[in-house]
Amino acid sequence: MKELNPISEFKQDPETSHENCDPVLHSSSVVTSQDSKIEEKQHNEEEQEQEEEELRRLLLPKVEDLPDTPPSAVEANFTTFLLRDFMKPGHDQYIRRHANGLCVIGLAPTHVAFKDKGGITSVDFNVGKSDRSGIKVTGKRKKNAQHFESNTALCKVCTGDASYIVRCCVKGSLLEVNERLIKQPELLNTSPEREGYIAIIMPRPADWLKAKASLLDFEQYKKSRAEP
Amino acid sequence: MADGVATAHNDDEEAHVSSATEANKDDLGFLRDAVRTLPPQILKDLLSNGVCTRCIFRLLILHEEICSRPSLSTPILSAILHELTEHEGDGANSSAGETKDLIDTEHVQDFQEEFRFCRVCLGILQFVHNDDKGMLMKKHRASDFAAAIGDAVKQDGHNFDSFSLEVSLPPIVDVNEQAVWSYIKKKYGSQPWFREKYPSESIAVKDFLKLSVTNPLEKLLDVKSNESSFRIRLTYTLSDASAMKQPIHESNGCYKRRKCKSKWLRCAVDDLHLKREQNDIDFIKNSAGLHKVERHEPSRNSSIESGDDGTGFLAFPIEKVIQCCSLNFQFYKTPIYVGGRYLKYSRNVSQTRWIIDDERMGEASIEEIVGGNILPICQGDSYKFHAAGREDIDVRMLGTGRPFLVEIQNARQFPSDELIKDIEMKINNLESKFVRVKNLKFLGSQGWELMREGEAEKQKQYAALVWISRPLNNDDVQTLSSPKDMQILQKTPIRVLHRRSPLEREKTIHWMRIERIAGSSHYFLLHLCTQAGTYIKEFVHGDLGRTHPSVGSILGCRAEILQLDVTDVKMDCFQA
Repeated sequence: MKELNPISEFKQDPETSHENCDPVLHSSSVVTSQDSKIEEKQHNEEEQEQEEEELRRLLLPKVEDLPDTPPSAVEANFTTFLLRDFMKPGHDQYIRRHANGLCVIGLAPTHVAFKDKGGITSVDFNVGKSDRSGIKVTGKRKKNAQHFESNTALCKVCTGDASYIVRCCVKGSLLEVNERLIKQPELLNTSPEREGYIAIIMPRPADWLKAKASLLDFEQYKKSRAEP
Repeated sequence: MADGVATAHNDDEEAHVSSATEANKDDLGFLRDAVRTLPPQILKDLLSNGVCTRCIFRLLILHEEICSRPSLSTPILSAILHELTEHEGDGANSSAGETKDLIDTEHVQDFQEEFRFCRVCLGILQFVHNDDKGMLMKKHRASDFAAAIGDAVKQDGHNFDSFSLEVSLPPIVDVNEQAVWSYIKKKYGSQPWFREKYPSESIAVKDFLKLSVTNPLEKLLDVKSNESSFRIRLTYTLSDASAMKQPIHESNGCYKRRKCKSKWLRCAVDDLHLKREQNDIDFIKNSAGLHKVERHEPSRNSSIESGDDGTGFLAFPIEKVIQCCSLNFQFYKTPIYVGGRYLKYSRNVSQTRWIIDDERMGEASIEEIVGGNILPICQGDSYKFHAAGREDIDVRMLGTGRPFLVEIQNARQFPSDELIKDIEMKINNLESKFVRVKNLKFLGSQGWELMREGEAEKQKQYAALVWISRPLNNDDVQTLSSPKDMQILQKTPIRVLHRRSPLEREKTIHWMRIERIAGSSHYFLLHLCTQAGTYIKEFVHGDLGRTHPSVGSILGCRAEILQLDVTDVKMDCFQA
């Protein structure tokens, strides 16, 4: 967003502000003292009005400067990477990396599960040695977080016909899985890139650099979709 | 006393003695009478074992008599003690006629020649120390020592209307004190004059020093001493008593009194103290002739009665001192505060200086603009910036502004109301126009009280520029405006999850109001008032559903936030 206009009207008239801070100076008689009090009150009200006007001017954007469709929070804050046919054909996943290094893992629009009739009907985090949704990570240091390899299973998504294993894609600590999916698996069908995300993983910077090499960026992904 | 103030370092002893004799004949008489009440045996004992006269008076609870007479010089005190012990030896009582002879110059100088550092106080109460250049400084009288402090204070250029004196001594002084009491108790504990009040009513070296110096210093500086914001600190250290101990002694005292803000720091200090004490014990163990104390902690433990070898002969437990302490003067003000509210008009200015890997984030910071302008006016050494909460770098702070405090360290100048107005004007007229301050106030040393109150339950008001994925209709305006005190659940936003604990927090949205923007159906201004600590950006876009409900989930469409401004921080302080 563009910076709004810089502020120019702050310079208070030094005389009036002085009068304002020390009205007693002007009170040579009772009458003038009252006058100055009224004056002061008026002045205060005026000042307040001015400030409110100023605030409105600052807050209201110029409509012509606004984009028709602004970039979404996801687009603005994350860099998207993709993995095609991970471990098995049609197992396409996305990795959205925030500037702070955290990676949101989810199903790419081309994932084979979406092609099944009726889409995804259930999500099961009870895979591998433990239930991924059962572990509570706590504290700044992310105590209890499990360290997973890129091919570790995160969950199993089921359609009417089959089930598919979703994997970590990057090596790192599993901070959370999207538990809403247990009760609302349809979020995967309606909004796979937002409310239908699968998990959040925190890779170590070195691990990320290694993993990144094998990922497609969004442009490469689009190209790969165009190819048969 | 006036001529005693002369601070030439090579004091002329004769001049001092003679002026003292004239000015303090009454004092001398009084003192002599007081000393006569003391058992001569112990006087002699302590004197011959290299305990200084002031320590003797101190140990035998005559400290009030001595401390209230700061112009009594060391040679005179010494003369009085010797006179009495010698007479006792002759078995005769001294008469008033003899005293004049005794306090003549010749006699006093005799004592001077055999000057020794006190084994208990290491010369501190003899007003002997090394200055910061390593020069041996020697004063005979408390008033002269006070004068030296007074000169240093004046040179430092502080403004103050009262002072408080702080003294920090090497820990060995405490250990010596324990040792000498243990010695006295063992040797004289059975004597009829030795009562329990003896150790308990005597005062420590530190307190004796304060008691003697404070009064003359008050007169010199012409201000009273109390719990003042201006501190005069005397730090005595042993420079090379033991190479092993040196690094610990270097920091001695600096930690002891400083008010630590954080708990871990306090722990660290405690730890250090512990280590230091341990170290002292080791040190004593290692030095010869101190076997009497070795099994005892240097804590206030007066039950040091065991371990008598039964021979009746008791060696004095403290060794001869060959080196006196170094003394360092420090003068400082407790911090003063200037408070007010700030407005931030730029989306590229952070609240505090923000530098990552030598790279500045944003163009400037509120901290530096505000603090940097206040500091020189107060002539302080440094400043700290504190604010009631903070906003992201890309969020402006408008409307009422946000309360802040600037803490000035060691301010030499208290700004007047006019000067405060000038600072406010100056900041508000800076060319950059990043920041404006309101209701700037000088708060003296009471800054935090104002900020603390009501901090927890404060509400904040925002204006957010929101876009939604479908046109806004009248129902939406109703839907968003009607809830009052709506509870939302907010998981730690992904954008801060890397450094904050993963938690789900309940927050309250007190009210919302929609302001339509002419010429656009997708954009609107959302005014909202929330509980402190609510993440507004996430409340708008929902953070992948991790904040629920959100503006998007309430309206059943995608909502994005383009701009955010804080318009009010609802706290009482610095409102006007």
